[in-house]
Amino acid sequence: MEAQPRRMRLSPEDHARLRRKARLRREFSGLMFIGPMFVFFVVFLVLPVFGTIWWSTRFGSLYSGTRFVGLRNFTRLPDLVGAPQAIKNTLVFAGASVPLILAGALAIALLLARLERGGAVYRFLVYFPVLVPGVVAGLIWLFLTNSDFGLFNDVLALFGFKPVTWLGVDTALGVLIALDVWRNVGYWAMFFVAAIIGLPQELYQAAKLDGASAVSRFRFLTLPLLRRIIFFAVVVSTIWAFQVFDTAIVLTRGGPAGATTTVIYRVWQYVFGSNNKVGFAAAISLVMIVAILALTLLQMRLLRSRRGGD
Amino acid sequence: MTAIAESHVADRGVLRRLAVDHARVRRRKRRLAELSRHLVLGLVTFILVAPFYYVVLASLKDSNAIFSYPPKLIPWPPYWENYRHVLTETNFLRWMFNTMFVATTVTVLKVFLDSMAGYALAKIDFTGKRAVFMLMLILLMVPGGALIVPLWSLVFSLGLINTYFALMLPPLANPLGAILMRQFILGLPNDLEHAARLDGLNDFQIYWRIILPLIKPGLVVLAVIIFTDQFISFIWPLIATTSDDLIVLTVGVASLRAHGGVDYGLWSASAVMSLVPIAILFFILQRQFLARSLAGALKQ
Repeated sequence: MEAQPRRMRLSPEDHARLRRKARLRREFSGLMFIGPMFVFFVVFLVLPVFGTIWWSTRFGSLYSGTRFVGLRNFTRLPDLVGAPQAIKNTLVFAGASVPLILAGALAIALLLARLERGGAVYRFLVYFPVLVPGVVAGLIWLFLTNSDFGLFNDVLALFGFKPVTWLGVDTALGVLIALDVWRNVGYWAMFFVAAIIGLPQELYQAAKLDGASAVSRFRFLTLPLLRRIIFFAVVVSTIWAFQVFDTAIVLTRGGPAGATTTVIYRVWQYVFGSNNKVGFAAAISLVMIVAILALTLLQMRLLRSRRGGD
Repeated sequence: MTAIAESHVADRGVLRRLAVDHARVRRRKRRLAELSRHLVLGLVTFILVAPFYYVVLASLKDSNAIFSYPPKLIPWPPYWENYRHVLTETNFLRWMFNTMFVATTVTVLKVFLDSMAGYALAKIDFTGKRAVFMLMLILLMVPGGALIVPLWSLVFSLGLINTYFALMLPPLANPLGAILMRQFILGLPNDLEHAARLDGLNDFQIYWRIILPLIKPGLVVLAVIIFTDQFISFIWPLIATTSDDLIVLTVGVASLRAHGGVDYGLWSASAVMSLVPIAILFFILQRQFLARSLAGALKQ
């Protein structure tokens, strides 16, 4: 019956059946393609995020078991030794390193993008610190900041200054910030170079004909055109700055006197370095996750509304 | 009459000379600007690279020479004992092997998983696609360090602590790759896919024979991102493994600092040696990476 060789119109029922079949096929292959990755995503990312909420209501340690204490971990967090300091250190760190990194990266990118030759060499050298593991970067900076033979004090001595104890209470966080700028400025510089090269050249030629100076071209063309990119960079680099840990553990071990102990550093100490604080570790982690999610959502919203406005 | 004509001729000569002068001035100005750019960039890169030179220098000196002032800028003859110490007195080669093994495995697995997921997110209309994509975007920024408590207890209850699986499986969850691959695949024209489907290819064949070859540059970028991410990862390997056989490079190098006593020679040599593989990899791939990745990432 079905074996009619002639081409014919589908009846409505056949049409619906075929469409259902095509849809089922789509659903199935969608599942097959997203599935493998999605399983890992759920097990090792979505579950732990909810796990953090569960753990933040517990008191005890990973090894000897925990009990439910409600929201006590959060209410006691401000009084907990080291917790407010860790949050303060992280905020200061992010507040100082993000503007320095992005301003430096933008300046380097403006120079690099207009370079006529030799750009590849600079790109390689500027990007290289990005590839250095934080632990190794910490080791390298131990050498630079050593009071007796470090490069910093050698340079100071060259100009006749007295040697400085770089990893002392007042300066250690500053050194950590400088290290972070050194490590990350290349990443965002490359990012901005790509963005600047992609800008429409006609606008710049028109501006030049109108007699706009280099400064005003930057102020009224480059900056507004890069607005979205810069905003993205601010949010992402802030989030990265929140996570600083590995450079601190090698360079200063969180010290002196907790001056460079960051939030993630505290989390690690609460879990593996002290008794019965796993709930606090989860609570302080959750505070950080919520802050980061808020930043992310803010960014998504702003980018969307801007896109409509442009 | 002649005087006027002569002045005209003179004018033309002056004008031509003025034009030539003007061009020369402009050329000189351009060269001057280019030179000043080189000067500033040279200074910046010098500051960025000096720490590397300094640590390489220290690794080639014995401990007396490290402490001497003024520092010798060219350590001659080089002192190789520090490197010998790293190789003989620590498990450095084992750490390096572990890092390479884990990073390579994760990279290969993740390139496949992420490109498949990216294909589904870009081209297949299945129920809940938008929700899945939004969830990935939102959780993209959650830092691994903030999840160590639940992640550790999860991996522990799966019985995976102190196995290679503990190092390899959690990184597969990162949604960045899938999102990046979606961006790349979205840029491909739908016609190709329709043509392939008319030719009787199924979804998997389309992915394997059409999509993958077309996004090869994107795959290279993704692979480099994942590999460097694994190469520098520290906090998760630190807590997921305690056995000496499973220590990765970053954890090993940190342990030199934590309980190896003060040994600047050893530290500097290990720092230099741990940078060698990533430097080689990056040097080979830098052209593709720096140019293409960022262009791709910017399309977001």
